[in-house]
Amino acid sequence: MKTWVAAILYAVLSAITLVVCFPLLWAISTSLKPKSEIFAWPPTLIPQQITFEAYRELLFGGSVASAPGAGVPPSAYFLDWFMNSVIVALGSTVISITVATLAAYSLTRFRFWGQRSVPYIAILGYMVPSVIFVFPMFLTMVSLDLTDTLFSLILGYVCITLPFCLWLMWAFFRGVPIEIEEAALVDGASRLRVFWQIVLPMALPGIIAASIFSLIVSWNDYLFGRVFMNSMHKLPLTVGVMHFFDGTHVDWGLMMASSVLMTLPMAILFGFMQRHLVAGFGAGAVKG
Amino acid sequence: MLPLILAVGIFLVWPIVEAVRLSFVRYNPLRPDEQPFAGLDNYLFVLDDPLFWESFYQAVVWTGWSTVLQAVLGVGLALLLQQPLRGMNAFRGMLLFPYIVPTVVIALNWRWLFNSEIGIVNHLLLSAGIIHDKIAWLSTPNMAMASAILLNVWKYTPFVIIVVLARLQTIPTELYDAAKVDGAGAFRRFRDITLPQLAEVLAVVIVFRTIWTFNKFEEIYLLTRGGPGTSTYNLALYAFDQSIANLRMGVGAAAGVIMLILLLIGAVFYIRVSGFGREEKAA
Repeated sequence: MKTWVAAILYAVLSAITLVVCFPLLWAISTSLKPKSEIFAWPPTLIPQQITFEAYRELLFGGSVASAPGAGVPPSAYFLDWFMNSVIVALGSTVISITVATLAAYSLTRFRFWGQRSVPYIAILGYMVPSVIFVFPMFLTMVSLDLTDTLFSLILGYVCITLPFCLWLMWAFFRGVPIEIEEAALVDGASRLRVFWQIVLPMALPGIIAASIFSLIVSWNDYLFGRVFMNSMHKLPLTVGVMHFFDGTHVDWGLMMASSVLMTLPMAILFGFMQRHLVAGFGAGAVKG
Repeated sequence: MLPLILAVGIFLVWPIVEAVRLSFVRYNPLRPDEQPFAGLDNYLFVLDDPLFWESFYQAVVWTGWSTVLQAVLGVGLALLLQQPLRGMNAFRGMLLFPYIVPTVVIALNWRWLFNSEIGIVNHLLLSAGIIHDKIAWLSTPNMAMASAILLNVWKYTPFVIIVVLARLQTIPTELYDAAKVDGAGAFRRFRDITLPQLAEVLAVVIVFRTIWTFNKFEEIYLLTRGGPGTSTYNLALYAFDQSIANLRMGVGAAAGVIMLILLLIGAVFYIRVSGFGREEKAA
């Protein structure tokens, strides 16, 4: 490629990247400013004075367990919310991936009634917006006495993530040649051993892509947490931080610091797994 | 492994069946065990509600703009990111990044960026001389809708990029080499090779994005709560508010089922354009 073409491409790409990343850069910048500077007009692009006050308040502002009662500022719940989100995201991902992997495997390797319709149901389930089934599920949770538990959230997220994971794993298993497994079975290996030692390693890229997807969805969800949960200390992070808005004035520094902290785990995950994500979408989300 | 199909039933089929059932009963939050059959009452209520039709219209506006912008920007950026340049992976990472940012975070950021008093967007536009007065982005109806569309485009264009990139990588390079030998310019190569190869995948992506955007809830709810007034309501917000604020779960469910019917129409389109399941029939 000619040098000047490359130079123009770099310039264009850098400009676009700057625009795309600007909201987050601005969030970081705001989160590091002292209060007086946040509300200054005209706003300063780069903080004149850097302070970690907002982060300190969120991370070390004391836990609710040690300071219960009225008048607790929402920021004191931040760590609880964070842990809740970690638990439900991991929990629903583990369930979703286990069910999807086993189900997809059986769908591609055994013949039985309904074998053809399940992928169709999965793709339909993938398209159904959660606002349609969040209330029926809530009413069921009420009758099962499960509301306001992290377990109900996990079940809710499985409903969102399972269809896609199932579909993606199904697409992956269809691409894995059956001959190797048959050879191993003929050689006397058990079905379970074949699954563990041959099938799973081959399906690993699919499992990684599906896991990332599932983690992102359940980490980012707002609706289920909003409908299912009541107690302040049991909220997931996404619902919790909206409580910062309830006061008479909004502490934008605190808001932006929590946005940064909320995005960070997903950003790290994404940084490590980006290739797998693109590969997974290529193979599973859209047929070539 | 057959019991796993049971799990599929519980997590996939059952919630939707339950939603449909709920749309035919009168639900009273004080007496949750009594759910008298209400026939089509809930549906008649919804179809008679002017707010429902307003939400429907606004959902169409919001979906149309979002999808078109996403498709155009997505293909353009994917082609840029496909160029063989050093350091391209870093650019890819940064441009795909918005897709994983939690909606709550984006909504918070947007509210901050578009703050009418001290927001940076107003400041930048003022100092560039594009506008002369501060714009109340989120509190005038048209601007609120535009901001919501912008948020959607920002967050979901990466989805289009990912899918298009994955497809671009499977186009055989021989096609381009042959075209170059025949003297085809860059534009001809795009029109005669890239575009036809992308057509199928693009159709699928557009159907998907249309369905999803039409049914989106969090993006709008967290940014504007449907306001100012009801100017950014869509059907998902309508269903949510009927269920939560008005405690008419049955009515909310009926609105949900109407969304579901629209979705099924979209799904039929999807199956048509993607040829999903075609080779099973051939086999």
